[in-house]
Amino acid sequence: MEWYWALCTLIGMVIFFMAMGIPVAFTFILTNLIGVMIFYGDTVGWIQIADNSTQLITRFTLGPVPIFIMMGALFFHTGLAIRVFNGLDVLFGKLPGRLCFLTVAGGSIFSTLTGSSMANTAMLGSLMVPEMQKRGYNSRMSMGPILGTGGLAMIIPPSALGVLLASVANIDVGRLLVAGFLPGFLLAALYAIMIYGQLKIWPESAPAYEIEMPPMAERIKLICINILPMSLIVFMVVGFIILGWATPTEAAAFGVFGVVILAGAFRVLTFRAIFTSVEATVKVAAMVFFIIMSSTVFSQLLAYSGASAGLLKWAAGFDLSKYWILLIMFVILILLGMFMDATSMMLITVPIFFPLAQNLGFDLIWFGLFVLMTFEMAGTTPPFGLLLYVMLGVAPKGTTLYQVASAAFPFLVCDAILILILVAFPALALWLPGLM
Amino acid sequence: MSGLFKSYNYLLHGMAICAGITISVAVLLIIIDVLMRIVSLDPFLFILTTVEYSLLWFTMLAAPYLVRIKGHVFIDAVTQFLPPRIKRIVAKIVYLLCIIASLVYCYHLVLLLMEAIESGEIDMRSFEIPMWILFAPMPPCFLMCAMEFGRFLIGIDDMYDQTIAERENV
Repeated sequence: MEWYWALCTLIGMVIFFMAMGIPVAFTFILTNLIGVMIFYGDTVGWIQIADNSTQLITRFTLGPVPIFIMMGALFFHTGLAIRVFNGLDVLFGKLPGRLCFLTVAGGSIFSTLTGSSMANTAMLGSLMVPEMQKRGYNSRMSMGPILGTGGLAMIIPPSALGVLLASVANIDVGRLLVAGFLPGFLLAALYAIMIYGQLKIWPESAPAYEIEMPPMAERIKLICINILPMSLIVFMVVGFIILGWATPTEAAAFGVFGVVILAGAFRVLTFRAIFTSVEATVKVAAMVFFIIMSSTVFSQLLAYSGASAGLLKWAAGFDLSKYWILLIMFVILILLGMFMDATSMMLITVPIFFPLAQNLGFDLIWFGLFVLMTFEMAGTTPPFGLLLYVMLGVAPKGTTLYQVASAAFPFLVCDAILILILVAFPALALWLPGLM
Repeated sequence: MSGLFKSYNYLLHGMAICAGITISVAVLLIIIDVLMRIVSLDPFLFILTTVEYSLLWFTMLAAPYLVRIKGHVFIDAVTQFLPPRIKRIVAKIVYLLCIIASLVYCYHLVLLLMEAIESGEIDMRSFEIPMWILFAPMPPCFLMCAMEFGRFLIGIDDMYDQTIAERENV
């Protein structure tokens, strides 16, 4: 079979089964079973699929995924995350649009704590939208910053999706995580600039209101109690990885350890909080791992059928600049992201895009971050971007998808600007990993 | 018969609880490992391999429970536009395909498990471990996944009756 038919058959099967509504993990299992029948010519290879499915999932490098999820869940369910918001709240004073800036600042910190864009958007949405609506903020100003900031969790370390991407693409987990640090916070700054610009144009969209500010000593105390200890844990996790003191898995475990100690110190470590956090970890991480397990053979099939090699040869034959090919990959990811979640997109595209990017001479850590950025954008792209629906779920009744999507648009522009900055200055992403 | 169903339900939920305990113990083991290194003690060799294996066990133990609570992510971007009757038929085909896939995996994993037990094969990692331990949780878990999809197929429950936020565990 020609490589392009092999590629169309395999990718086509995955898309067809997904479109039917088959759970993603079982989509890959079915594709693998049928793919083996097509390319091996019999069912003898099925035992090999079952055997190979254990390969990727029993790697120590995948360890941070459930552990980061557990860390985020503990932060959330013990109420420590809310304390960060309370601490930040006193910093912004009577600033116009203070709740928008609070969202960006709190959301950026919460991103570092949870590593989950879904949880981030849901928490920010349920916490901030009612308050913003009460203060007369319009839907653009109340939902836009949340949708932008919610996606930051994919980039700012510790990102569970980043660990997954690095493991699937076989690149260094720690380096990819650390690579997202500066661009993540730069993106948060771009969001703040965007909010400032919107407020200049439409000051009535987020009216200023009177608040009672505590005295300076009280404010410093609140910051020391509510922000510094949590920030210390995050810097411990990221710092351990940068300094090479611990692998990402070990750093993640210490993150959990730190949160448990902190929650104990604040007397919020209840059995219920622990149980709910472990339950959340099982639900999210086991689901993701089951997909990973089922999809391991998919990339092997792409290679065995000659689809990967054929595509690489074909792409290399074009007299196109590598940036045009990068743009094509970007468009494909955005299009896929309109209908799929990030994990599914990743598993379909990584076996094809990463060898291609390597062939074109892109640094794979940089390219990994580029892919994560694109996933973030895809999550907020209508009509089916998942974050839009999460927001719709927590927004006040009567909110339409159009309102949510148009609120997200200016922040998608910020994402695009950051991608252009990364293309122009790759060192922004590669400087910190270079120190490792 | 109802006793059998009750026991099965206990087993399903018990396995999910075991999954939670497994991943929690893995976190604890990693912390112990790093602490031992910090105080210049030789870390236990079994920890690395145990954590690696626990990732698989944790995933498999939770898999049937995830089918029960509709926790496996799927895409309904296309099917949501289908007329209800067609949608129901497509759903039944989906359940059937998932049952077939689970049973095929289950059967081949049983073969792999038996082969691993008979050959006494050892997985050489940081710590030597019998290969059958790797495969042991997989056949029963895939069988239970098939049974859970069977529940959907015969109409006890519907996998597609959740909101996106519920599906994404938010």
